[in-house]
Amino acid sequence: MLRPQTAPRFALAALAVTVLALSGCSIKRVERIDPNSVTDLSGRWNDADSRLVANAMIAQSLESSWARDYAAANGGTPPALIVGQVRNRTMEHIPVSTFIRDMERAFVQSGAVRLVASAEEREELRGERADQQTNASAETRARMARELGARYMLQGEVQTIEDQEGRERVVFYQVDLTLTDLETNVRTWVGQHKIKKYIQSRRITP
Amino acid sequence: MRSALLLVVAAACAPYPQRVDQPVTIPNNANIPQVEGADVAAAQQAEYARLRYSADSVYALAIRGCQPGICDAIGRGEIVLGMSPDQVMAAAKTGPQAWVVRRFDGFGTMVPASQSATPYDRVGQVMVVQLDQGRAAVVSRRGPQGIMVASTPQDQTTQARARAQAEALVREGDDLVAANDMAGALNRYDRASVLDPDQPEIEYKAARLLDLQLRPQEALMRYQRFLLSMELERIRAQGEANARLAEAIALAQQRVIVLRGEVPR
Repeated sequence: MLRPQTAPRFALAALAVTVLALSGCSIKRVERIDPNSVTDLSGRWNDADSRLVANAMIAQSLESSWARDYAAANGGTPPALIVGQVRNRTMEHIPVSTFIRDMERAFVQSGAVRLVASAEEREELRGERADQQTNASAETRARMARELGARYMLQGEVQTIEDQEGRERVVFYQVDLTLTDLETNVRTWVGQHKIKKYIQSRRITP
Repeated sequence: MRSALLLVVAAACAPYPQRVDQPVTIPNNANIPQVEGADVAAAQQAEYARLRYSADSVYALAIRGCQPGICDAIGRGEIVLGMSPDQVMAAAKTGPQAWVVRRFDGFGTMVPASQSATPYDRVGQVMVVQLDQGRAAVVSRRGPQGIMVASTPQDQTTQARARAQAEALVREGDDLVAANDMAGALNRYDRASVLDPDQPEIEYKAARLLDLQLRPQEALMRYQRFLLSMELERIRAQGEANARLAEAIALAQQRVIVLRGEVPR
């Protein structure tokens, strides 16, 4: 049984604790930051790694001579390329399509390479084209059998090597992309980018 | 109690001895701008434009005063005998950068400048064009069954090309028989037979193969087809030169009699 003079004091303290707890639970801060900034939080694969790979691969592929050689043998016509599978051979979730899309964008933007739709995308396009043969007017329908055959296929894989002891961890990512001549299976270009991260964890975070 | 707790906290927060001491290449909060394709490939675009301009100039030169047959071939994108080097380039939709042209005393050769990207015409991958008095005299292309050479106008016809491919397939089939790959050999003979239906020897080879594989019904049909396709009178008139075929006919006739008895009607 509380004494009459301590009751208001106790109620006040309880209210203060409740307000503090509620306000503590609802703290959330959202800010827009530069998408080009490096923000490493957990040490896992992130947007900065994807961008680093894309930048390196774009530079390597466009500076290599394969596209120029093809154009020289074909009167200045850029080579046609299809993006095949880029396999994630790591234990981590790595969305490979982020850097592949960056590469595709650079290829199209540069005009150095003609990019054709992938097998999955082609199915949808063919469905639409087939539909047009029946439903679109003759002068607007897309004609059948006018697809551009790719001469080269881009394939690749992402691999990791991890080393850990105690609170220290080193993760090494290796991204390999290859461009293969679809007719001869000759590898015309091999691109590679390596990222090594040193991650040190504290036991108590501030 | 309190001091023990402090000791634990101090131990937990104490600086940890770092074993990796390498300079940081990209610190947190750094900025990595996205590479733009147009910036990287500006020189490449200029190079492509130069190549296109060069190929267009060669094309204009090639069609100036050309003979109708050669003009048509350039339009079709096919290298034919009698073309000048410019016309060869135009037919392959290329410029001088794609070729290495060597000339000596009226003769010469045109070979691809790069082995990784060789020129193509409508027929296939061009390996060598031999020039005689400045005109294409022999055209060699790479086909699925080896190099195909066209040195006469007859070699340039579709039938001639099919015959050359059929010959190559028969050679491949013979090699597969020697290597004990009967299914592969039969596949090659079948393909050769479609490409060159006027070659009864292919039917005979296929029939023999099926006969050896103990497939009498199919062998019988192939022997009969072989015999039907042969013009016996013509073979007899050709005499000794075709003695080998006459022997094959006799054997085929014998096998037809034997197999007819074996195959249930």
